[in-house]
Amino acid sequence: MKLSLGPLLYYWSREDTLAFYEEAANWPVDSIYLGETVCSRRHLLRLSDWLELAEKLTAAGKEVVLATQTLIESESDLKALRKLVADGRFLVEANEWGAVRLLAEKGAPFVAGPALNAYNPDTLGLLAELGAKRWVPPVEMPRDMIMSMLASPAVPEALETELFAYGRLPLAFSARCFTARRYNLQKDDCQFRCLDHPDGLTMRTRESEDFLTLNGIQTQSAKVMSLAHRVDELRAAGIDLLRLSPQSRHMGRVVEVFRTLLEGGLAASAVPEKLDKLMPGQPCDGYWLGEAGMAYHPM
Amino acid sequence: MKLPNFPKPLARFVSTLPSWPASRAFAAAGNLLAWPALRELDWSHVAGRRFRVQVSDLGLKLYFTVHANGFRALHNGLADVTFTATAQDFARLALRLEDPDTLFFNRRLLIEGDTNLGLSVKNMLDAVELETAAAGMPAGMGRVVMKLRHLAQR
Amino acid sequence: MPALLELICPAGSLPALKAAVDNGADGVYLGLKDNTNARNFAGLNFDAKSLTEGIRYAHNKGVKVLMALNTYPQPDTVSRWHQAVDTAATSGLDAIILADPGLMAYARKVHPNLRLHLSVQGSATSYEAVNFYRERFGIQRAVLPRVLSLPQVENVVNNTDVEIELFGFGGLCVMVEGRCLLSSYACGDSPNTFGACSPGHAVRWQQTPKGMETRLNGVLIDRYADDEKAGYPTLCKGRFDVQGETYYALEEPTSLNSMEMLPEMARIGIAAIKIEGRQRSPAYVAQVTQVWRAAIDAVKKDQAAFKPNPAWMAQLNKVSEGSMSTLGAYYRPWK
Repeated sequence: MKLSLGPLLYYWSREDTLAFYEEAANWPVDSIYLGETVCSRRHLLRLSDWLELAEKLTAAGKEVVLATQTLIESESDLKALRKLVADGRFLVEANEWGAVRLLAEKGAPFVAGPALNAYNPDTLGLLAELGAKRWVPPVEMPRDMIMSMLASPAVPEALETELFAYGRLPLAFSARCFTARRYNLQKDDCQFRCLDHPDGLTMRTRESEDFLTLNGIQTQSAKVMSLAHRVDELRAAGIDLLRLSPQSRHMGRVVEVFRTLLEGGLAASAVPEKLDKLMPGQPCDGYWLGEAGMAYHPM
Repeated sequence: MKLPNFPKPLARFVSTLPSWPASRAFAAAGNLLAWPALRELDWSHVAGRRFRVQVSDLGLKLYFTVHANGFRALHNGLADVTFTATAQDFARLALRLEDPDTLFFNRRLLIEGDTNLGLSVKNMLDAVELETAAAGMPAGMGRVVMKLRHLAQR
Repeated sequence: MPALLELICPAGSLPALKAAVDNGADGVYLGLKDNTNARNFAGLNFDAKSLTEGIRYAHNKGVKVLMALNTYPQPDTVSRWHQAVDTAATSGLDAIILADPGLMAYARKVHPNLRLHLSVQGSATSYEAVNFYRERFGIQRAVLPRVLSLPQVENVVNNTDVEIELFGFGGLCVMVEGRCLLSSYACGDSPNTFGACSPGHAVRWQQTPKGMETRLNGVLIDRYADDEKAGYPTLCKGRFDVQGETYYALEEPTSLNSMEMLPEMARIGIAAIKIEGRQRSPAYVAQVTQVWRAAIDAVKKDQAAFKPNPAWMAQLNKVSEGSMSTLGAYYRPWK
């Protein structure tokens, strides 16, 4: 199995973002996803900046994938999307079907992102036919279903499977910005408050349980999906890449733990303790087992 | 016309009634009036589940189960699901004048216990046409029900 | 003539269907009694018998019947969705409403004459996405998620041949439909696969000394004082604590009501207005259909002079979640 660094879901300052990827160039990950997938108002890095980063990381030996915005609302969103697709130097992750259309028209291979909702072999087969060389299952898809998908004759063997294996789960997208709402601001005048929350804003129940994370128009889990302790199951299921989702602190060490685990330098049972100190929240693995996503079963 | 509120002295009298005879009377009335229209439905997943209907303004609690052959009263005890509302709101629901979700939003209807069971019965009853139910009632009762609905609608 | 402001109303049961037809719907939409549609609640929806009767009743009065098959088929049960498409094709339905591309491919191949609509659960928010489904599967209408402002909707309309249907009234999804997993995160079942958000088996209401509590698989969604209005037990309408402040962090319990935008919707050429609420009673369907029929007729008669009648608005607010309504994303500041 290979390791990938998923797209940065939060909004960090330009300096912090560039510093993060400068470090990432030296981390033992095989692929790095770049680009703004959450909010069109986040502009500290422009497409040209991401492309420049992409060149640097490619030179550092990484496979670079440019990820498209998940919620397309306006003509300017579409313009940005067309520019990204037109560049053509890098592999692209399509996160909605408009992007699939543009990529298929161009005949460019792509990664089918988790928001495309490929829940069955026919749809996944269609994506492959349109040019997908890799897919990321919906984050709620359980192991058994992924295995059924991959066993289907409708799905080409060469299609790679990348699983969201570490990080706060992206659960929902909205037109509304919940971070702006927290500050009684309108989205069009959000004052970029996301910058103050490098790992999102935790939303607790009225019984003080950490439940969700507000990240602009995106809602994430408060718990951190963590499948490292299930590495044998991941291999047996035919997963090709594990996606690790960026967090503001200790990301390099998280990558290190996964790499050591994959290379056999660490027992799966020893991982939770190692990761525990590095995670911004409690772990969960329920989706993989076909349960509530927030459930957790240490092995 | 609005359905009248329950007269206070009568309400006080009803609230002194023990549950068991009230539940029996309710089951008997249900079997007579409603069951002809309800027997067509598939009650298999509901059979034996214990219902409690609390008429809040009357302090009345009705306990019963539903079987393939109709309602059966139960002695007080545990219920799988409890519906709570006033007599008037229950009457408006039965006459299809009120939407249960609207009553719920306004805190006038509460379903406690097994929510799935409660919603499933709510939905099953919604699927029965009042006209059909009224037609199945004995000796003129159906006409009375339709007339009552008509009056209350104005 | 292209369709303009057709009124499409919900039917969770035969009496609800009749209520919609009798009160002026141009079309009704319904689903089968399983997880092939996104209102998979116990006791709701249609079986073979009520479907036949419903289609007969509606067609006799010139009203169209659409079937929602808008959840995502899963590997081991795809045949259930295929059978549902076959049922739709042979029953004389006017269109099916789909979200999954694989299922669209099946429908297109096996029943080329069946009219296809793209469901809101397909999450298409741009004309590029809508046109993808048009080119590939010949969809003739798309229902847009409740996330675009009206000018953004207009931009979609101007760049596609596909008819555009918008939500007019009813329960308000705050999230992009088809892209919300909050329910399954808490309880294991999501609209995409199970066909319901906050399914009954995971919901508990309980009157406690602190107030009426709503829980989803144990997670406290909200607690209401006696004088507070309640909302559906969905996570997006609950009260939560962010940085020590407890409030409706995502959205208040409220319904969408876009009536005041009807003239604008007519101007940009919206083909149909959808009323949400297959989970609701025939009483709701009758009331809401009646009001919207009157409103749409008024707009068609005189766009410029149209103003929502206060009695209509009161009637709609009465049946709204939390007795409140909002213009949602159609009105930009909501975002």
